[in-house]
Amino acid sequence: MLDEQAFIKDLLDPKTQNKAFQTLLSSYQKPLYNHIRNIVLNHDDADDVLQNTFLKVFQHLKNFKGESKLFSWLYRIATNEAITFLNAKAKRNGMTSENFQQKQIESLKADDYFEGDEIQLKLQEAIATLPEKQQLVFKMRYFEELKYEELSEILDTSVGALKSSYHYAVKKVEEYMIKH
Amino acid sequence: MNSFNLENGPKIKSGFKTPEDYFENFSEQMLTRINTDEKPVRSIFQKRSNWFVAAAAVLIVGIAIPFLNKSGNNTSIDGESLENYLAYQSNISQYDLVNLLDEQDIEALESDLKIDDAVVESALSDNTNLENYLTE
Repeated sequence: MLDEQAFIKDLLDPKTQNKAFQTLLSSYQKPLYNHIRNIVLNHDDADDVLQNTFLKVFQHLKNFKGESKLFSWLYRIATNEAITFLNAKAKRNGMTSENFQQKQIESLKADDYFEGDEIQLKLQEAIATLPEKQQLVFKMRYFEELKYEELSEILDTSVGALKSSYHYAVKKVEEYMIKH
Repeated sequence: MNSFNLENGPKIKSGFKTPEDYFENFSEQMLTRINTDEKPVRSIFQKRSNWFVAAAAVLIVGIAIPFLNKSGNNTSIDGESLENYLAYQSNISQYDLVNLLDEQDIEALESDLKIDDAVVESALSDNTNLENYLTE
Protein backbone atom coordinates (compact mmCIF):
# COMPACT_ATOMS: atom_id res chain seq x y z
CA MET A 1 0.00 0.00 0.00
CA LEU A 2 1.68 3.12 -1.24
CA ASP A 3 -0.18 5.80 0.61
CA GLU A 4 -1.10 4.23 3.90
CA GLN A 5 -2.40 7.43 5.48
CA ALA A 6 -4.81 8.01 2.59
CA PHE A 7 -5.95 4.39 2.80
CA ILE A 8 -6.62 4.70 6.55
CA LYS A 9 -8.57 7.90 5.86
CA ASP A 10 -10.71 5.95 3.36
CA LEU A 11 -11.29 3.26 5.97
CA LEU A 12 -12.53 5.85 8.47
CA ASP A 13 -14.73 7.80 6.04
CA PRO A 14 -18.27 6.29 5.99
CA LYS A 15 -18.53 7.08 2.26
CA THR A 16 -15.43 5.08 1.28
CA GLN A 17 -15.34 2.69 4.22
CA ASN A 18 -16.93 -0.37 2.61
CA LYS A 19 -14.73 -0.32 -0.48
CA ALA A 20 -11.59 0.34 1.56
CA PHE A 21 -12.39 -2.48 3.97
CA GLN A 22 -12.91 -4.82 1.04
CA THR A 23 -9.41 -3.89 -0.20
CA LEU A 24 -8.02 -4.50 3.30
CA LEU A 25 -9.71 -7.90 3.46
CA SER A 26 -8.50 -9.04 0.05
CA SER A 27 -4.92 -7.91 0.80
CA TYR A 28 -4.60 -9.38 4.27
CA GLN A 29 -7.09 -12.23 4.73
CA LYS A 30 -4.78 -14.92 3.32
CA PRO A 31 -1.53 -13.97 5.09
CA LEU A 32 -3.36 -13.34 8.37
CA TYR A 33 -5.28 -16.62 8.06
CA ASN A 34 -2.02 -18.52 7.55
CA HIS A 35 -0.44 -16.73 10.49
CA ILE A 36 -3.39 -17.53 12.78
CA ARG A 37 -3.72 -21.11 11.49
CA ASN A 38 -0.06 -21.76 12.26
CA ILE A 39 -0.76 -20.76 15.86
CA VAL A 40 -4.18 -22.37 16.50
CA LEU A 41 -3.73 -25.31 14.03
CA ASN A 42 -7.44 -26.04 13.54
CA HIS A 43 -9.38 -24.46 10.62
CA ASP A 44 -12.58 -23.64 12.53
CA ASP A 45 -10.60 -21.94 15.29
CA ALA A 46 -8.53 -20.04 12.70
CA ASP A 47 -11.76 -18.86 11.05
CA ASP A 48 -13.12 -17.62 14.40
CA VAL A 49 -9.90 -15.81 15.26
CA LEU A 50 -9.60 -14.26 11.78
CA GLN A 51 -13.12 -12.85 12.07
CA ASN A 52 -12.40 -11.50 15.55
CA THR A 53 -9.17 -9.98 14.26
CA PHE A 54 -10.84 -8.05 11.45
CA LEU A 55 -13.66 -7.01 13.76
CA LYS A 56 -11.13 -5.63 16.22
CA VAL A 57 -9.24 -3.91 13.41
CA PHE A 58 -12.46 -2.26 12.25
CA GLN A 59 -13.44 -1.18 15.77
CA HIS A 60 -10.02 0.21 16.67
CA LEU A 61 -9.09 1.75 13.35
CA LYS A 62 -9.96 5.23 14.65
CA ASN A 63 -7.32 4.78 17.37
CA PHE A 64 -4.62 3.70 14.91
CA LYS A 65 -2.03 6.46 15.18
CA GLY A 66 0.12 5.38 12.27
CA GLU A 67 3.14 5.08 14.58
CA SER A 68 3.70 1.60 13.20
CA LYS A 69 2.86 0.24 9.76
CA LEU A 70 -0.65 -1.02 9.14
CA PHE A 71 0.90 -4.40 8.22
CA SER A 72 2.60 -4.88 11.60
CA TRP A 73 -0.43 -3.51 13.50
CA LEU A 74 -2.67 -6.12 11.82
CA TYR A 75 -0.21 -8.94 12.55
CA ARG A 76 0.07 -7.84 16.18
CA ILE A 77 -3.71 -7.91 16.63
CA ALA A 78 -3.93 -11.33 14.90
CA THR A 79 -1.12 -12.75 17.09
CA ASN A 80 -2.71 -11.48 20.32
CA GLU A 81 -6.14 -12.73 19.31
CA ALA A 82 -4.77 -16.19 18.41
CA ILE A 83 -2.75 -16.61 21.63
CA THR A 84 -5.61 -15.31 23.81
CA PHE A 85 -8.01 -17.68 22.02
CA LEU A 86 -5.71 -20.68 22.55
CA ASN A 87 -5.12 -19.95 26.23
CA ALA A 88 -8.84 -19.45 26.86
CA LYS A 89 -9.72 -22.71 25.07
CA ALA A 90 -7.05 -24.60 27.01
CA LYS A 91 -8.42 -23.18 30.28
CA ARG A 92 -11.99 -24.11 29.32
CA ASN A 93 -10.79 -27.68 28.78
CA GLY A 94 -8.93 -27.65 32.10
CA MET A 95 -5.52 -28.07 30.43
CA THR A 96 -2.26 -26.18 30.28
CA SER A 97 -1.56 -24.44 26.94
CA GLU A 98 1.22 -26.97 26.25
CA ASN A 99 -1.01 -30.02 26.83
CA PHE A 100 -3.77 -28.45 24.77
CA GLN A 101 -1.34 -27.87 21.89
CA GLN A 102 -0.26 -31.54 22.03
CA LYS A 103 -3.90 -32.58 21.85
CA GLN A 104 -4.47 -30.27 18.87
CA ILE A 105 -1.49 -31.83 17.04
CA GLU A 106 -2.82 -35.33 17.70
CA SER A 107 -6.20 -34.38 16.27
CA LEU A 108 -4.53 -33.06 13.09
CA LYS A 109 -4.31 -36.66 11.82
CA ALA A 110 -8.09 -36.77 11.58
CA ASP A 111 -8.47 -33.18 10.37
CA ASP A 112 -10.08 -32.81 6.92
CA TYR A 113 -8.20 -29.59 6.35
CA PHE A 114 -4.74 -31.01 7.09
CA GLU A 115 -3.06 -32.84 4.28
CA GLY A 116 0.31 -33.24 5.93
CA ASP A 117 2.37 -36.44 5.87
CA GLU A 118 4.34 -37.99 8.71
CA ILE A 119 7.23 -35.52 8.40
CA GLN A 120 4.88 -32.54 8.52
CA LEU A 121 3.18 -33.91 11.64
CA LYS A 122 6.55 -34.57 13.27
CA LEU A 123 7.60 -31.01 12.47
CA GLN A 124 4.49 -29.73 14.29
CA GLU A 125 5.40 -31.93 17.27
CA ALA A 126 8.95 -30.59 17.24
CA ILE A 127 7.72 -26.97 17.14
CA ALA A 128 5.43 -27.65 20.11
CA THR A 129 8.49 -28.42 22.28
CA LEU A 130 9.78 -24.83 21.84
CA PRO A 131 8.97 -21.93 24.19
CA GLU A 132 6.01 -19.80 23.02
CA LYS A 133 8.06 -16.90 21.61
CA GLN A 134 10.47 -19.23 19.78
CA GLN A 135 7.51 -21.07 18.27
CA LEU A 136 6.14 -17.79 16.98
CA VAL A 137 9.48 -16.72 15.50
CA PHE A 138 10.01 -20.11 13.90
CA LYS A 139 6.55 -20.29 12.32
CA MET A 140 6.66 -16.71 11.03
CA ARG A 141 10.11 -17.18 9.54
CA TYR A 142 9.96 -20.77 8.27
CA PHE A 143 6.33 -21.17 7.13
CA GLU A 144 5.26 -17.58 6.48
CA GLU A 145 8.70 -16.49 5.22
CA LEU A 146 8.50 -13.04 6.81
CA LYS A 147 11.65 -10.93 6.83
CA TYR A 148 13.50 -10.32 10.09
CA GLU A 149 12.75 -6.59 9.75
CA GLU A 150 9.03 -7.35 9.50
CA LEU A 151 9.24 -9.75 12.44
CA SER A 152 11.06 -7.08 14.42
CA GLU A 153 8.20 -4.60 13.88
CA ILE A 154 5.46 -7.11 14.67
CA LEU A 155 7.05 -8.64 17.76
CA ASP A 156 8.82 -5.47 18.92
CA THR A 157 12.12 -7.35 19.25
CA SER A 158 15.51 -6.49 17.77
CA VAL A 159 16.62 -8.21 14.56
CA GLY A 160 19.66 -9.63 16.38
CA ALA A 161 17.55 -11.21 19.10
CA LEU A 162 15.18 -12.66 16.49
CA LYS A 163 18.05 -14.17 14.50
CA SER A 164 19.45 -15.88 17.56
CA SER A 165 15.97 -17.03 18.64
CA TYR A 166 15.37 -18.56 15.18
CA HIS A 167 18.82 -20.16 15.18
CA TYR A 168 18.12 -21.92 18.51
CA ALA A 169 14.64 -22.92 17.35
CA VAL A 170 16.02 -24.54 14.16
CA LYS A 171 18.65 -26.42 16.19
CA LYS A 172 16.06 -27.79 18.62
CA VAL A 173 13.65 -28.76 15.83
CA GLU A 174 16.44 -30.56 13.93
CA GLU A 175 17.47 -32.43 17.09
CA TYR A 176 13.88 -33.52 17.69
CA MET A 177 13.50 -34.68 14.09
CA ILE A 178 16.66 -36.82 14.34
CA LYS A 179 15.73 -38.35 17.71
CA HIS A 180 12.11 -39.17 16.90
CA MET B 1 17.09 -40.41 10.92
CA ASN B 2 20.82 -39.71 11.19
CA SER B 3 20.91 -36.13 9.96
CA PHE B 4 18.29 -33.54 9.32
CA ASN B 5 18.89 -30.08 7.90
CA LEU B 6 15.92 -27.80 7.99
CA GLU B 7 17.54 -24.88 6.15
CA ASN B 8 19.25 -26.71 3.30
CA GLY B 9 16.89 -29.64 2.85
CA PRO B 10 13.62 -29.51 0.86
CA LYS B 11 11.14 -27.04 2.35
CA ILE B 12 8.49 -28.67 4.55
CA LYS B 13 5.10 -27.03 4.10
CA SER B 14 2.67 -26.61 6.96
CA GLY B 15 0.13 -28.98 5.35
CA PHE B 16 -2.85 -26.78 6.24
CA LYS B 17 -5.61 -26.25 3.71
CA THR B 18 -8.92 -24.42 3.72
CA PRO B 19 -12.42 -25.36 2.57
CA GLU B 20 -13.14 -24.55 -1.06
CA ASP B 21 -14.04 -20.91 -1.75
CA TYR B 22 -13.26 -20.07 1.89
CA PHE B 23 -11.54 -16.77 1.10
CA GLU B 24 -14.10 -15.81 -1.56
CA ASN B 25 -16.89 -16.17 0.99
CA PHE B 26 -14.91 -14.79 3.92
CA SER B 27 -14.87 -11.18 2.66
CA GLU B 28 -18.62 -11.16 2.15
CA GLN B 29 -19.28 -12.82 5.49
CA MET B 30 -16.96 -10.37 7.25
CA LEU B 31 -18.56 -7.29 5.70
CA THR B 32 -22.01 -8.53 6.73
CA ARG B 33 -20.78 -9.16 10.26
CA ILE B 34 -19.22 -5.72 10.52
CA ASN B 35 -22.38 -4.00 9.30
CA THR B 36 -24.58 -5.90 11.77
CA ASP B 37 -22.17 -5.67 14.70
CA GLU B 38 -21.55 -1.99 14.17
CA LYS B 39 -23.18 -0.05 16.95
CA PRO B 40 -24.30 3.58 16.40
CA VAL B 41 -21.32 5.82 16.98
CA ARG B 42 -21.82 8.13 19.92
CA SER B 43 -19.85 11.31 20.15
CA ILE B 44 -17.49 12.00 23.04
CA PHE B 45 -19.77 14.87 24.11
CA GLN B 46 -22.73 12.53 24.43
CA LYS B 47 -20.66 10.15 26.52
CA ARG B 48 -19.38 13.03 28.61
CA SER B 49 -22.88 14.45 29.19
CA ASN B 50 -23.89 11.13 30.73
CA TRP B 51 -21.06 11.50 33.22
CA PHE B 52 -22.20 15.04 33.99
CA VAL B 53 -25.75 13.83 34.62
CA ALA B 54 -24.47 11.02 36.86
CA ALA B 55 -22.21 13.43 38.80
CA ALA B 56 -25.03 15.97 39.19
CA ALA B 57 -27.41 13.25 40.45
CA VAL B 58 -24.87 12.09 43.04
CA LEU B 59 -24.29 15.71 44.12
CA ILE B 60 -28.03 16.42 44.53
CA VAL B 61 -28.57 13.24 46.56
CA GLY B 62 -25.51 14.12 48.67
CA ILE B 63 -26.82 17.60 49.40
CA ALA B 64 -30.35 16.35 50.10
CA ILE B 65 -29.31 13.71 52.66
CA PRO B 66 -28.90 16.10 55.67
CA PHE B 67 -32.24 17.79 54.89
CA LEU B 68 -34.06 14.50 54.46
CA ASN B 69 -32.60 13.24 57.73
CA LYS B 70 -33.56 16.43 59.56
CA SER B 71 -37.15 16.54 58.41
CA GLY B 72 -37.62 12.91 59.35
CA ASN B 73 -36.04 12.69 62.79
CA ASN B 74 -35.59 16.14 64.25
CA THR B 75 -38.23 16.76 66.95
CA SER B 76 -36.28 19.30 69.08
CA ILE B 77 -37.22 22.97 68.86
CA ASP B 78 -34.56 25.64 68.87
CA GLY B 79 -34.51 28.18 71.71
CA GLU B 80 -35.33 31.23 69.59
CA SER B 81 -38.55 29.71 68.19
CA LEU B 82 -39.64 28.75 71.68
CA GLU B 83 -38.94 32.26 73.01
CA ASN B 84 -40.88 33.85 70.17
CA TYR B 85 -43.80 31.52 70.71
CA LEU B 86 -43.92 32.21 74.43
CA ALA B 87 -43.59 35.98 73.93
CA TYR B 88 -46.13 36.46 71.18
CA GLN B 89 -48.43 33.47 70.95
CA SER B 90 -49.01 32.01 74.38
CA ASN B 91 -50.89 33.57 77.28
CA ILE B 92 -48.28 32.50 79.84
CA SER B 93 -47.02 35.55 81.69
CA GLN B 94 -43.43 36.27 82.75
CA TYR B 95 -44.42 35.52 86.31
CA ASP B 96 -45.74 32.10 85.40
CA LEU B 97 -42.42 31.38 83.71
CA VAL B 98 -40.41 32.56 86.71
CA ASN B 99 -42.41 30.26 88.95
CA LEU B 100 -41.57 27.34 86.70
CA LEU B 101 -37.82 27.90 87.10
CA ASP B 102 -36.07 25.94 89.82
CA GLU B 103 -32.75 26.83 91.49
CA GLN B 104 -30.70 24.93 88.96
CA ASP B 105 -32.29 26.89 86.12
CA ILE B 106 -31.56 30.17 87.85
CA GLU B 107 -27.93 29.20 88.38
CA ALA B 108 -27.68 28.25 84.74
CA LEU B 109 -29.12 31.61 83.70
CA GLU B 110 -26.63 33.44 85.93
CA SER B 111 -23.70 31.55 84.50
CA ASP B 112 -25.00 32.19 80.96
CA LEU B 113 -25.35 35.92 81.50
CA LYS B 114 -22.01 36.35 83.37
CA ILE B 115 -22.53 39.98 84.23
CA ASP B 116 -19.46 41.60 85.71
CA ASP B 117 -20.05 43.61 88.91
CA ALA B 118 -18.01 46.52 87.57
CA VAL B 119 -20.25 46.69 84.48
CA VAL B 120 -23.35 46.73 86.70
CA GLU B 121 -21.90 49.55 88.80
CA SER B 122 -20.98 51.68 85.85
CA ALA B 123 -24.41 51.14 84.30
CA LEU B 124 -26.07 52.21 87.53
CA SER B 125 -23.94 55.32 87.88
CA ASP B 126 -24.53 56.31 84.23
CA ASN B 127 -28.32 55.96 84.44
CA THR B 128 -29.37 58.14 87.36
CA ASN B 129 -33.08 57.56 86.86
CA LEU B 130 -32.58 53.89 87.76
CA GLU B 131 -32.83 54.97 91.38
CA ASN B 132 -36.56 55.26 90.81
CA TYR B 133 -36.75 51.58 89.92
CA LEU B 134 -34.55 50.57 92.82
CA THR B 135 -36.58 52.42 95.38
CA GLU B 136 -39.80 50.90 94.08
